Amino acid sequence: MTRRAWVRLDNASNIFLAARSDVDPKVFRMSAEMDHEVDGELLQQALDATFDRYPLYHAVLRKGLFWYYLQDSDLRPQVQAEVRPTCAAIYRENRRELLFRVMRHRRRIVLEVFHALSDGTGALAFLRELVIAYARARTAAGPAPAGGADPASAASPPPAVDPTSRHGRGLFVDPFARYFRRERRPAPAASAAEASAFVRAATPAGLPEGMPAQEPAASPRRRMVGRGPRRHETHVHRVPGTRTPDGRTRAVELTVPVAELLATRPEGVGTTMYLTALLFEAVRRSAGDLGRARTLAASVPVNLRQFFPSTSSRNFFTALRVEHTYGEGLDDLGAIGRQLEADFRPQIEIGALEERLRRLMGLERMPVLRIIPRPLKDLVLGLVNRVNNRALTVAVSNMGPVRLPEDIADQVRRVSFQVSAVRPQICAISYGGWLSITFTSPFLETGHVREFARLLTAQGIAVSVAATRVTEAELAEGAA
Amino acid sequence: MRRCPDCGVAVEGAWSRCPLCGRTVMGPMRPDPFPAVPLRFSRRRIYRILLLASLVVILASFGAQMLFDRGHAGIGLVRSVWLGLSAMWLVVLMAVRARRDIAKGTATVVVLICGICAYWDYLVGWDGWSLTYAVPIVCGCSILALVIAVPALRIEAGDHVLYSGTMVLLGLVPIVFTALGWVADPIPSVCCGALAVIVLVMQERDRVSDVLHELGKRLHI
Repeated sequence: MTRRAWVRLDNASNIFLAARSDVDPKVFRMSAEMDHEVDGELLQQALDATFDRYPLYHAVLRKGLFWYYLQDSDLRPQVQAEVRPTCAAIYRENRRELLFRVMRHRRRIVLEVFHALSDGTGALAFLRELVIAYARARTAAGPAPAGGADPASAASPPPAVDPTSRHGRGLFVDPFARYFRRERRPAPAASAAEASAFVRAATPAGLPEGMPAQEPAASPRRRMVGRGPRRHETHVHRVPGTRTPDGRTRAVELTVPVAELLATRPEGVGTTMYLTALLFEAVRRSAGDLGRARTLAASVPVNLRQFFPSTSSRNFFTALRVEHTYGEGLDDLGAIGRQLEADFRPQIEIGALEERLRRLMGLERMPVLRIIPRPLKDLVLGLVNRVNNRALTVAVSNMGPVRLPEDIADQVRRVSFQVSAVRPQICAISYGGWLSITFTSPFLETGHVREFARLLTAQGIAVSVAATRVTEAELAEGAA
Repeated sequence: MRRCPDCGVAVEGAWSRCPLCGRTVMGPMRPDPFPAVPLRFSRRRIYRILLLASLVVILASFGAQMLFDRGHAGIGLVRSVWLGLSAMWLVVLMAVRARRDIAKGTATVVVLICGICAYWDYLVGWDGWSLTYAVPIVCGCSILALVIAVPALRIEAGDHVLYSGTMVLLGLVPIVFTALGWVADPIPSVCCGALAVIVLVMQERDRVSDVLHELGKRLHI
């Protein structure tokens, strides 16, 4: 018989299965806006070519007694019209379906991915190849990259995984199998530094937001228990809101010129922490009085590939946590940004990240945890995730700049990124001098987005807004 | 592009009010990058509640039979219809739930039907008709059904070997009943057992490694 290749799903990806819900199906979306209406046929051809080069994307998810596993399939993706709300559920139990979808709407090419399959960086590499193949086929300026050759990308700085590498090829079978085999083998003789050897062993795993081992020692919940004499007892503020009528994600996309935004950035503050500070301030302004919940906390996913080179498309990120307590010192944007940066920097030191990875690997290999049946694992991970969510106000995900080969770069106007969210979240990505910041939340209210936009426009930054329609009244207006 | 005078932002799409503050926006319209997707309400939750309620009613119906007298005299028409409806409802529910996986669904339904028959037999005073006729006939028919369905539906070996293996093994169980003298008429059991042995020798023998492979995958620790 044809024995299909399969790999066990790691804990990092398991968390997305355990934590998914009707409101937050753990799906993220990346889209590229072209300078023309997207041609469905050409996009399908480009998708077929790209799909063939990414074996991981052939996977369907199946259930074992102890773990979920990804299994190879013969399914082929079809480009669809966009008839679902953004980030609609992809994985359905007991159905063998691909774990991603490609859609088109007017000028946009949209890729939506179930997070258990891949992370943002992995998906961006797929979208990038898809867009390149489509744009080249359309202009016929050059042959579509049948062999994955992409001369321009070698020179590109790495916002994403370099698609000219062996990205995706044979990857489907490899990551975890390789990881577990290496575990038992002596290290390769020609291995590089200890850090990279460790990470090669750890490569397939990203770190779940919800694992207890990751919780920073200074989290407010612990502080409340510890009752430190110097700091006041505060609660983490959680943004309240009214759920959308059918549970769909409310997405609001702000587009701003990168240069204008960076010009207003306080000195010594990185872009991600500046965006986080802006979001904290926006949440505070929209909340009015924070009351006792004066601490705002953000989960910030960090792509581990930039520290530990890996070509894996699988989840390989860690979610760090930063927080700011209002009323305990300076609360202007610059001060918040610098404080967040000072919290964030030490966490992304290579040694600190290695320590976190080690702890997670230890947890993943713990024999007792391995033999827990899968439904129980789901239950425990779901509970851990729920408890962890209570200590978070928002999440901030910054993918950084995307670069495309020159021959097709001017066909693409804008690239955007969004994630289904159980709490307000922002996702930032920039392309061609434009930064797209997409706010997602399960709520109707957009108060924090309004304040965020006003913080920018007050500094003279041009802001363009696009939003999904979620209520009956908004939809009636949109259809009119 | 339309602009909101309060927020100072440009608004994409046919919004008459600013999506951020609700203030009326002015200016020419630019196409919306997002489609207006009509509201959809998932029936999943309703189905889940109906399923759970059904299971509670069915199990309560089966359990309640223990409160009555056992034996032919006690069962009566009403209780027979009640049991029949509960059994049918359970089998249909399970068959519908497992409809996307024929092999798994068949195995589930076979086990359920055999269990229900044995319980019913017990309730009417244990004549042994379930073990003599119902279990071997159901097992035998299901083995035949899989032998036909697997090639006809082109089910991949990996998707059915575990379940078809289980059903063949179940087909051998009536032989044990015969050996233990639990059956009144050995013919159905012998036929079922013979069928299971034939299928085992003809088909399953070559699939031992496949079965082990599947087991290794599903029981991977």
